[in-house]
Amino acid sequence: MTRAEDQLTPFEDEIVSPTGPEGGEARESESALQLILRTFLENKLAILGLGLVVAMAIFCFIGPLLYHTNQVATTYQINLPPGKGHPLGTDENGRDVLGRLMVGGQSSLEIGIAVAIIATVFGVLWGAIAGYIGGKLDSVMMRIVDVFLSIPSLFLLIFLAAAFTPNMTILILILSFISWLSPSRLVRGEALSLRVREYVKAVKIMGGGPTRIVVRHIIPNTIGTIAVNATFQIADAILVLATLSYLGLGLPPPAASWGEMLSNGVNYIYDGYWWLIYPAGFAIIITVIAFNFIGDALRDSLEVRLQKR
Amino acid sequence: MKKNIRRRSSAVIATTVAAITLAACGSGASSSSSSSTGTTKVKGGIATFAEGPGAKPNYIFPLTPPTNFSTANLSLFQTLMYRPLYWYGNGSKAEINYAYSVAKPPVFSNNNQTVTVTLNSNYKWSNGESVDAQDVIFWMNLVKANKTNWAAYVPGAFPDNIVSYKASGKYTVVFQLDKSYNPTWFTYNELSQITPLPLAWDKTSLTAPSPTASTPVSSLPDQTTSGAKAVYNFLNTQAGQLSTYATSPIWSIVDGPWKLKSFTTQGKAVFVPNPAYGGPVKASLSEFIELPFTASSSEYNVLRAKGITYGYIPFSDLAQKATLAQEGYTLQPWNLFGFNYWVENFNNPTVGPIFKQLYFRQAFQHLIDQQQWIQSFLHGLGVPTYSPVPTAISNPFADSVSKTGMYPFSVTAAKSLLTSHGWKVVANGTTVCAKPGTAANECGAGIAANTPLTFNLQYASGLTFVSQEMQALKSTAASAGITINLSQAPFDQVIANAAACPPGPNCTWQMENWAGGWVYAPDYAPTGGEIFSSTAGSNFGSYNDPKTNQLITQTHTATTSQFNSAFNAYQDYMVQQLPVIYQPNPPFQLSEIQSNLKGVTQNPYANLTPETWYFVK
Repeated sequence: MTRAEDQLTPFEDEIVSPTGPEGGEARESESALQLILRTFLENKLAILGLGLVVAMAIFCFIGPLLYHTNQVATTYQINLPPGKGHPLGTDENGRDVLGRLMVGGQSSLEIGIAVAIIATVFGVLWGAIAGYIGGKLDSVMMRIVDVFLSIPSLFLLIFLAAAFTPNMTILILILSFISWLSPSRLVRGEALSLRVREYVKAVKIMGGGPTRIVVRHIIPNTIGTIAVNATFQIADAILVLATLSYLGLGLPPPAASWGEMLSNGVNYIYDGYWWLIYPAGFAIIITVIAFNFIGDALRDSLEVRLQKR
Repeated sequence: MKKNIRRRSSAVIATTVAAITLAACGSGASSSSSSSTGTTKVKGGIATFAEGPGAKPNYIFPLTPPTNFSTANLSLFQTLMYRPLYWYGNGSKAEINYAYSVAKPPVFSNNNQTVTVTLNSNYKWSNGESVDAQDVIFWMNLVKANKTNWAAYVPGAFPDNIVSYKASGKYTVVFQLDKSYNPTWFTYNELSQITPLPLAWDKTSLTAPSPTASTPVSSLPDQTTSGAKAVYNFLNTQAGQLSTYATSPIWSIVDGPWKLKSFTTQGKAVFVPNPAYGGPVKASLSEFIELPFTASSSEYNVLRAKGITYGYIPFSDLAQKATLAQEGYTLQPWNLFGFNYWVENFNNPTVGPIFKQLYFRQAFQHLIDQQQWIQSFLHGLGVPTYSPVPTAISNPFADSVSKTGMYPFSVTAAKSLLTSHGWKVVANGTTVCAKPGTAANECGAGIAANTPLTFNLQYASGLTFVSQEMQALKSTAASAGITINLSQAPFDQVIANAAACPPGPNCTWQMENWAGGWVYAPDYAPTGGEIFSSTAGSNFGSYNDPKTNQLITQTHTATTSQFNSAFNAYQDYMVQQLPVIYQPNPPFQLSEIQSNLKGVTQNPYANLTPETWYFVK
């Protein structure tokens, strides 16, 4: 796909002459990775998104090491407003909201990222196989996808969460179960067009099997679509987890997630206990937006037509 | 007799942003002005009543099967139209109310083996027929033939303990019992289960002619067992057709103060006064409407908009009571004659042997900080539970032991009990059995060495105070070395899980808390036979103790002079033995009633009497 740097060097020596060529100075050629990275970094929103995600990760995973709270014990100092000792107040069980925000963020991010990985891997393999093989297998595999897509996801989530006792592993599997459908359809569409490309035909002529074609040629050429979708999957999983928590089907108490915090806080919506709602709500919004910024920037960077040259 | 569902606090979120926006709105002060009311009674008017979230009426036939045996169907719906033989609840007192009863006080004779019931002659069905002895016989025949379909049936009790019954006059029925029973118990727990039914229902199809008082008794289908089964099947089928409730020629025949004007399958019921009602108080309102809600939050939103005459405020919104007062509402907690508890599964193969140890149950009860929970989570609106005998409502049953209990909150006492019985207590760690065996200082039968004190406890979701209580328990129990794994599930799932199961690997649930406890209706005398007898259908945890059985039976058969001592022996033993885990008993609901609605009494058995309500101006 890309030329090696050493192949470029003699040519570059020619064009970067002391006097310069007629028509202006030529730019130094870049590798595809460099081009992607440069395009990504030129996107200010992407930098902002990346910074927010890093900041949120530090807040959630490093924060509890510096700010110690007990997120299991009930203290009966319930719903205290922000003040000394509790910068963001306490919740309905007397637990420090700031500390809970950190711990809750851990599970939200862990579940979001785990769901994105599982759903993407499974969905990509499913879609790539269906798209490359085609025919009846494609029809069967995609009808299965259609069947699951036809069921309202909220209904499916409530059913699954009610059927299984929720814990982190179960929730990851449940959320992954409804999340792999989208990447499978996207990749299947890409695979349909890629399978008739010359280099795929060449692999076939040289004796390459379907596994090699799918793993070494189809999937790598859909990496842009996959990467972008994966970032959106993280954001979506965090939101869906929040919805499940709101319905009482999230992590078992006293485990925390941002959605669970928001869900509990909404019970006091008329009481003006803003510290039970704003922190968790903003954490969800900021994280989701940050991942969406990154996803948008990745799409711009990986899509050749959108790259700046 | 009914598992009670409390007014539940649950809501559905649309988006995170919406929640935050609402939070901003919620923090503002109410600008509504208060409304003033006068004292002049107004004839007519429409009163609306909020049904519990998701608790809509869906069964109209008084002979109700277990799947429909709920407060929403019985106390808040059926009794408005079809009056039971005896009415329970005198204002807010937990006692029989003969003034509201269809029958006069029962007369016990023949060493309390014969009961004579005489109906008041002033009660009429809306088709003009009298409510008389034959209507009671009709009920008895249906119950006898279809007792397994009836939710209140307990083997050996009503109607099994009635040898014969016959009408000895137009308004008099004589029951012959299989042995002597205590009159109070028999009146409160057995005669309470009778609801006269109109003879016009004594048929097997809609097209069949409706019997009347002049129809020969021998030709009525309920006179044979097969005929009574056919009649039940017909009426049960009719009761399943919710859309026909208001128009049905069956259900439109009522003897209560109200009849249905319209009914939707979503649970909205519009009642109008029954002009033929022969009871002591005729309805003043022109209409009474029950409104369904899927969530307490939606009910509360309507309440704030003054869209309900008689609603409720969720516990989590109690801080807003001043706002509602400004809107013209009066807060009245509604306490029921029941008690609150959760069940342990004595038949669980893993933890059942631990639950069977009295010292463990005592230690566990020591960890329930009832007073603190009431103050912190229930805003002081609740009473501690120490026995199966209710204390929230003044009644003649509860003695001093039931009011004070034996196991006050004490982590030290809990740890001491465990340690003295062979457990190596590790606070905030895993406590294990260090001394297996059956000696006094050992863990007890069936408990192996190194068995951990780890339990699963599932509780009903949607109620903030329940979640707070259970998380507080987990925290406290950990300090005594007991690990509790909490999980939440909807109310229906929790009560479905909390079913008695025979010992074995499939009997897996450990502790279930549906948060509503037990309301004594129609087992109005709290003698516990329905829940703690070894064979009781509602003995969900399979508690099995011969002495408990004996004490319960004694309350059923004691003479009048012996009843108090027999009952006290039972309740004191239940305080000491802890067949279930007692927890604070909050009000059934925190009623918010518009100040211009008067005459409201909150019945301790949840029976509604809107015929006593009226508006003032």
